[in-house]
Amino acid sequence: MSIELGNFTAEERAAQEERLRKVWGTPKGLRYWTSVNNSEIGLWYACTAFAFMLFAGGLGLLMRLQLVVPNNNFLSADFFNQAFTLHGTVMMFLFAVPIFEAIAIFLLPSMLGARELPFPRLSAFGYWSFLLGGVFVCGSIFFNAAPNAGWFMYPPLATDEKYSGIGADIWLLGLSFIEVASIAAAVEIIVGIMKCRAPGMRINLMPMFAWYLLIVAGMILFAFPPLIAGDLLFEMERMFDWPFFDVARGGDPLLWQHLFWIFGHPEVYIIFLPAIALMAMIVPTFSQRPIVGYSWIVLAAVGTGFLSFGLWVHHMFATGLPQISLAFFSAASEAVVIPTGVQIFVFVATMLAGRVIFSVPMLFGTGGLIIFVIGGLTGVMVALVPFDWQAHDTYFVVAHLHYVLIGGMLFPVVAGIYYYFPFVTGKKLSDAWGKAAFWLMFTGFNIAFFPMHLSGLRGMPRRVFTYPQDIGWDWFNLISTVGAFVFAAGVATFVIDILRPKPAPSEPNLNPWNSGTLEWTNNPAEDWGMRSVPIISSRYPLWDQPNLQADIEAGRFYLPDAKSGRRETLVTSVLDATPIQCLRVGGTSYVTIVAALALGGVFIALTFKWWIATIICSIITFAAIVTWLWRGTAQIPEAPETDVGLGLKLPIYVSGPASVGWWAMFITMVGDGTAFASLIFGYFFYWTVHDDFTAAAQGPGVVWPITALVLFVAAWGLTLLARQLNEKGPNGARIALVAAIIVTLAACGAGLAGPYLYAMDPTAHVYPATVWIVAIWAVVHGVVGAIMQLYCLARSLAGKMTGEYDQDIRNVALYWHFMAFTAVVTFAVVGLFPLVSA
Amino acid sequence: MTDDRLTGSECWPIRSRLFIGRITDRADARSFYRAGLMLAASLLCSCSGPQSALDPAGPEAEDVAILFFTMVVGGALIWCSVVGILFYASRKKHAYDAGQASRIILWCGVVFPTIVLGALLSYAVWLMPNIRPGFGEANARLRTIDVAGEQFWWRVRYQNAEGSAAFETANEVRVPVGERVLFKLTSPDVIHSFWIPVLGGKMDVIPGRENHLTLMAEKPGTYRGVCAEFCGPSHAFMAFTVVAMEPGAFEDWTKARASFDGARDAEGLALFLKHGCSACHAISGTEARGTIGPDLSGFGERGSVGVGALVNTQEDIARFIRNPSEIKPGARMPHFSMLPETDIQRIAAYLKGLQ
Amino acid sequence: MKSVIPREVETLWTLFTAPVVWAVHFLVCYVGFAVYCAKALSLHLSFDAVRIGLGVFTLLALAMIVLSAYLAWRQWGYGTGDPPHDAPTRQDRKHFQGFATLLLSGLSFIAVLYMAIPMIFIAECQR
Repeated sequence: MSIELGNFTAEERAAQEERLRKVWGTPKGLRYWTSVNNSEIGLWYACTAFAFMLFAGGLGLLMRLQLVVPNNNFLSADFFNQAFTLHGTVMMFLFAVPIFEAIAIFLLPSMLGARELPFPRLSAFGYWSFLLGGVFVCGSIFFNAAPNAGWFMYPPLATDEKYSGIGADIWLLGLSFIEVASIAAAVEIIVGIMKCRAPGMRINLMPMFAWYLLIVAGMILFAFPPLIAGDLLFEMERMFDWPFFDVARGGDPLLWQHLFWIFGHPEVYIIFLPAIALMAMIVPTFSQRPIVGYSWIVLAAVGTGFLSFGLWVHHMFATGLPQISLAFFSAASEAVVIPTGVQIFVFVATMLAGRVIFSVPMLFGTGGLIIFVIGGLTGVMVALVPFDWQAHDTYFVVAHLHYVLIGGMLFPVVAGIYYYFPFVTGKKLSDAWGKAAFWLMFTGFNIAFFPMHLSGLRGMPRRVFTYPQDIGWDWFNLISTVGAFVFAAGVATFVIDILRPKPAPSEPNLNPWNSGTLEWTNNPAEDWGMRSVPIISSRYPLWDQPNLQADIEAGRFYLPDAKSGRRETLVTSVLDATPIQCLRVGGTSYVTIVAALALGGVFIALTFKWWIATIICSIITFAAIVTWLWRGTAQIPEAPETDVGLGLKLPIYVSGPASVGWWAMFITMVGDGTAFASLIFGYFFYWTVHDDFTAAAQGPGVVWPITALVLFVAAWGLTLLARQLNEKGPNGARIALVAAIIVTLAACGAGLAGPYLYAMDPTAHVYPATVWIVAIWAVVHGVVGAIMQLYCLARSLAGKMTGEYDQDIRNVALYWHFMAFTAVVTFAVVGLFPLVSA
Repeated sequence: MTDDRLTGSECWPIRSRLFIGRITDRADARSFYRAGLMLAASLLCSCSGPQSALDPAGPEAEDVAILFFTMVVGGALIWCSVVGILFYASRKKHAYDAGQASRIILWCGVVFPTIVLGALLSYAVWLMPNIRPGFGEANARLRTIDVAGEQFWWRVRYQNAEGSAAFETANEVRVPVGERVLFKLTSPDVIHSFWIPVLGGKMDVIPGRENHLTLMAEKPGTYRGVCAEFCGPSHAFMAFTVVAMEPGAFEDWTKARASFDGARDAEGLALFLKHGCSACHAISGTEARGTIGPDLSGFGERGSVGVGALVNTQEDIARFIRNPSEIKPGARMPHFSMLPETDIQRIAAYLKGLQ
Repeated sequence: MKSVIPREVETLWTLFTAPVVWAVHFLVCYVGFAVYCAKALSLHLSFDAVRIGLGVFTLLALAMIVLSAYLAWRQWGYGTGDPPHDAPTRQDRKHFQGFATLLLSGLSFIAVLYMAIPMIFIAECQR
């Protein structure tokens, strides 16, 4: 590693900085909101999520006021139901997951030594979707139209139009929209961590935070799609009366519970792991030594990620499933304790091996751990089936989950905010205020939630808006309410500490805690992130690499300049982080806001069944996304290579698995495939619950499904052929693409012909509804596939796709691998399985 | 029909007496352990109550309570150790060697939990078929009570020995002591969950399915059960009374209920019929045969009106008749405030008299 | 063994071998019993037959995990170097991967063992 670092004169550096500022600068005035910089998006994301948290916390206080004494009538039953539904929904979907996306978007580029994440416009799109969806969901309570069936939305209560009104639609559509944003963030984070690390940052040198986030983003990819599939079934029932959960017509409410909790339990770990990731950054800093047990943390993160998918039925222990099934989930629920314990003892070991400086972030961190351990221990209890039969759906579980989430998530996040506040603003938060906030929150929390263990075991069920006197719950509830207000006072102290004006520090210090990780080299006053992208040779480069800060600031490493006038960052290889590409990322743009608002419009219009508005918004969304892709991706560069500094020349344009776009497509399609798998799970679920799952109804026949299958495979072959021919010249590829489009459309027609020609009525019984939904899923993907083929044809005709610059067709071919798989499974199942099972 | 346990004030001394009785009955080591643990626990946290899972009146609830208290003791020890280590780690004078420190990850993070959790899991899994035994044929021999959870009340049907419906009641479950009873749980509307904490765990009541739950009461008394799954506006009021009776008393009661005559107060009954109450409610021995709402035979004996919303006095009954949804939001019974006040009072007196 | 499984298999993905074995084992056990208990009437199989079948499958899964652990041990250089494996070299990166994979194999082994416990104590489809 004998690379000679760059050396620039003061004038050269000033000129470089001027160009960097021009390229990375944040727009002024109203155009500020078109910024896509990770530091802006991250900050907006965090503030919005925090505001939603305060809102949901306020709802929690209202509920505590209602429960302060028995037979209280402070809130009506209906308002109480809306309040607890929104409290859970907002905390989970609009605070816990987005706040970690916010922190990830904000921190990751600096931590990894990248200028930006690979898809900044996607982050912006995600943020605007989240904001719109969140305001829509929260705002509903001011019109007395909030969802009121619990955050788990169990049918048939939630499918009962008379009871749930429009609230259930708001929940389903508003949150589907936000789930799309979360998956977008997951794609961004995975590709960012795998491909955008600084040169030399091998996977054994990655910051702990990045390891955790990589796993969490992967979990999102497998956890959210089942819920999206569930939402789809649910909304089809509410909107078009397809009886997926209606027992009178063969449906089964338990399918929703499965799909919801396949999402819902990993969700808990999706929330918990990033918070622990913050702890894994804080503890080494305040122990002033590298973390002890780096590999153990990887074990814990990966292990938890996997095991968390084997827990979902522990929310369904009382549904009357066979005991053997329950016991399997109990076993996995106990097994997941082990990696969780490992994480805690990694922190303990690091503290033992270091000299601990006890400041406010550590206070919140260890306070959180102390709370979390109680939640973990009660978790061990409720994971045992016999005990859960008693504790399930009681205040014991309310206590357990708050101990886990507040101790395992909120406290570490607050610790993280105290820790990273100087990174964001250049100023520290106050120690005195921080300590006051901590003790108020810590004592208030325990006073509020500890008694709930007891009230729960004395029989108090969850989600009751009031309770009778004299069955032993009065005192517990009174104490809980008092505690809740003390806790709220602590949160208020913390918020005031953040908002109050703070004097600028007398001596600016970029690294006030003497941390070792790369992000602390960034100057918060500048928008460019890393001044130059360093070569990394340690897990804690600021501790181990002498003069690193000064060299970075002097532009002595890679990409010290922005001569091309474009936003550039390095792409490196996955395992050893050797530089492979100079990636140009998207800059400031309106297109993301337009796309997000229009997509939001689609969901909102659907909620109110305004069909025309839905169609108009869909067209705008489509146009915006195509414009975005056409003008912003796979641009043919002015030269094949560029000088990134230190004598290294890298290609600007790469395609196939080397490119970030290919990985984004791959990852998105993995998520998409998971949603599809959930629908197929639904098909077989109905087979297991009924003796004759077709209810003697007409199926789609064999001929049409098999025709569709063959045609889809043919279209796949033609797409691959087009990719091959494109390398030799445009003409053959264009002809193959035209043929592929025609075959795809024919395949789509054949796919729908089966259920249509056999007059399968999806409202009559769940069997035809299931066949229709999987067929429609495949056909919609077919139509998207045809649009992609058309897009490639247009790019080829416009000269934007050539034999050398062929990202578009390679990504589309990748899509078609998944498409072919989807089509084969779909049509083989709907066409052939009825024969097999009969 | 009053029981101290319902008032809560004097409950735990009574419970302690019961435990002393237990020890002399079964003086083996295990029951000493159990009794000691339960006594200590009930003194510590006053766990007693008509709806307390920690104040068991049946074997399932007792096994689970014992399991819980054992875990609480173990959990408290673990928690104290972790907090102690954290405290020590942040206050110690000399830093440990990293290799040495990392051993704590292996021993405390992996080896110890693997053994403890493995043992705990094995015990709990072994316990499952023990506390909820029987399946198919084995359950068919048990006394069966059909329970339907409906928004927001419980329909309870008793069967004859030959398995046909004997009589129906509502919001009150009576079981004989010392006999395992099979509850067949169904729902015509949304998901509920049937839970009698003092006897054992809960079981969801799911439309389209018939879930089975077997429970056994060991101690006579009056307890309380609830719906544990959120089911709509009046979920909070979907409670029921549980009466565990000596077998003889239980047989007498079933005989009396099977031949219940609600026509003794002819004037009240006439008003009841005249105002259309019988469209929804049935009363044995009369021509009131509605099936939409709760069967009101023996209504006067029940502990509450509106499934736990009000105490069962004549005035409360009248209040409920006037405007049910004011007391029980979402109740399907329409309001009858347009009836003459004298008629309302008369019907209330009639219902109170159905004993 | 060395010649049978070349070192080229050691990518980022080998890290996930053992947990994937756990996941497959978990799904097969859960789905197996769920389908058996739902369709017991139409299947001519006893509960014990399913139990024994899945017990054998459990042993198979454990063997797979042991194999993964062996490969991880090899990748770790047969334990010649101790953690933390934080040098900026290809060698240390591989050792780190090997060690992490070894730990994950251990966890997966425990998790699969836990999955066998229900099959020991529960002998019917009772609910």
